[in-house]
Amino acid sequence: MGLTARLGRTALAGWLLLPLVPLVLWAAADRWTAPAVLPQAWGTAGLRDAVDAGAGPAFLRSTVLGLVVAVLATPLGAMAGRALATSRVPLGGAVLAVLLSPLVLPPFAVALGLDVLLLRLRVPAPVGVVLLLTVAALPYTTVLMRAAYAAHDLGFEEEARTLGATARQTVFHVQLPLLAPALAGAAFLAFLVGWSDYVVTLLVGGGQLVTLPLLVAAAATATGNEAQVAVLSLSSVLPPLVLLVAVGLVGRRGRA
Amino acid sequence: MTQSGALELRGLTQVHAAGQPPALDDFTLDVPAGSCVAVLGPSGSGKSTVLRLTAGLDEPTRGSVRLDGRDLIGVPPERRGMAMVFQRPLLFPHLSVRDNVAFADRVRGVPRRRARERAEEYLGLVALGGYGDRPARALSGGQEQRVALARALAAEPRVLLLDEPFSALDTALREEMHDLLADLRVRLDPTVLLVTHDHGEADALADTVAVLDGGRLQQAGPVRELYARPASLAVSRLLGGRTEVPGTVRDGVHTSALGALALPGPVPDGPGVLVVRPEAVRVTLPADPAADVTGTVVRVRRRGLRALVAVEVPGPGGVSVEAELEAGEELPAGRAVGLVLAVAARAVVPPLGPPSSPTDAEASPVRPR
Repeated sequence: MGLTARLGRTALAGWLLLPLVPLVLWAAADRWTAPAVLPQAWGTAGLRDAVDAGAGPAFLRSTVLGLVVAVLATPLGAMAGRALATSRVPLGGAVLAVLLSPLVLPPFAVALGLDVLLLRLRVPAPVGVVLLLTVAALPYTTVLMRAAYAAHDLGFEEEARTLGATARQTVFHVQLPLLAPALAGAAFLAFLVGWSDYVVTLLVGGGQLVTLPLLVAAAATATGNEAQVAVLSLSSVLPPLVLLVAVGLVGRRGRA
Repeated sequence: MTQSGALELRGLTQVHAAGQPPALDDFTLDVPAGSCVAVLGPSGSGKSTVLRLTAGLDEPTRGSVRLDGRDLIGVPPERRGMAMVFQRPLLFPHLSVRDNVAFADRVRGVPRRRARERAEEYLGLVALGGYGDRPARALSGGQEQRVALARALAAEPRVLLLDEPFSALDTALREEMHDLLADLRVRLDPTVLLVTHDHGEADALADTVAVLDGGRLQQAGPVRELYARPASLAVSRLLGGRTEVPGTVRDGVHTSALGALALPGPVPDGPGVLVVRPEAVRVTLPADPAADVTGTVVRVRRRGLRALVAVEVPGPGGVSVEAELEAGEELPAGRAVGLVLAVAARAVVPPLGPPSSPTDAEASPVRPR
């Protein structure tokens, strides 16, 4: 790798990781007042306060929400992506525009408006949140899978059929393994949509579904306890990072 | 080894969109059990459509595909008992070479160990015995096609369908694959339906050839017969014939700018184009009394040890006859030569378009040679 490339990569890594440094420092600080460069006292007070505020259950709720959105949005996006990429969908452009519309509509306005409808229909709050977030994740999964299917050679599936595989066996033995890296990427994006959402969870959840972003926002708007906020923020960032590494590994195995 | 099946294609027609000419029009062909039939045609002639309809990947607009007498209409590809090898090897990249070959067994429910054992046998048949553990991506082009062939054979199909499987390989590899296929035919006796645009390949591999052009069957029969008696100009061209001399036939004699040439068999009177293969035309001295025509060499095309020369014969329209030289023989352009056209190799095909105008030679009858 050339020197410029190496410098570029280091600079990029630094630019992405640098904002986390103050968070890490704050998370382990008992007392840190200006103008000191480093905390005056180290300790685990922030961690204790975060746990007391309900970080554990919130973490669990965020994970479940992210996973459910991923499980729902990925197959739907895959099917839409396959249809748009391989067959001639009537009014394909219009269909794609509709599927991408959640990206352009302001989430606050949509969530506020739909909240009234969901309440009227007596849809339970968590179900409403999952529904709206799945729709919000669809643009990402559809676009990703559409690109993946466009690059996918249908000849593999035809070959499998002539070798004796039923349509169902072809999906499991040929189509899914070949598309595993793209599916992992799409699932990851959908998970992120569910994990990091604030507006929809707040409005439609009615304040009862306390996920990690809600907890972080509540702690951040309160005064004084930076250490607690730092711990909560870090616990919001780490799981997606871990998943990113996992997805990257799946992608590399699919390509190697 | 499963019993090889007899295939019957009857009136196969495939229309993609209303108003457009059909991709395949009323195609009928018999593929007897254990034989190898080649469908020969240029790109866009519909030959891949023949295979796709036979394999069940597409449904025909009209016509039927019968295997051992049983009509396959509505039968999905996986239950037809046929296996197909495409132009691209299409080896599953997420599987090893052995697992690729074992794929047909695995989807049938054969236990993994038994499937892998059988896969090893078939890899041995294509001389890739030690390659089982390699990932499918780590092979060269020729090796990939051999694995694709082994994979298709491991499915023990009643009919093996080959869609121009060797056209992406270089000449030396292609010859190796021809030898391999001939060897496999001896050992396993499969029924093979092969599609190709190369008449040399059709000649090397097939017992009978069906020539397809523009979606319609032009002629079908043993290759020797197609070389000697092409039914049309399209067939002659597809088989590599380049000598076309327009003229008129009367009483078994073809008259043209080359003069009057006797024909070996009965040919109906009327306009006709004389075609002769270059291998049947001998080059000699212009003064040779055995020479049927004389002319001047205008082009020499080297092709191994035997070159092809184009000889222009004086006359209206600039007729050129191609001849094959003896091994090692050399002729410069501009040399005057005589040509001997073997009588048995002379064939007449109907002309394309409006009939040709009568030549000067017809006005004064000359004794035919």
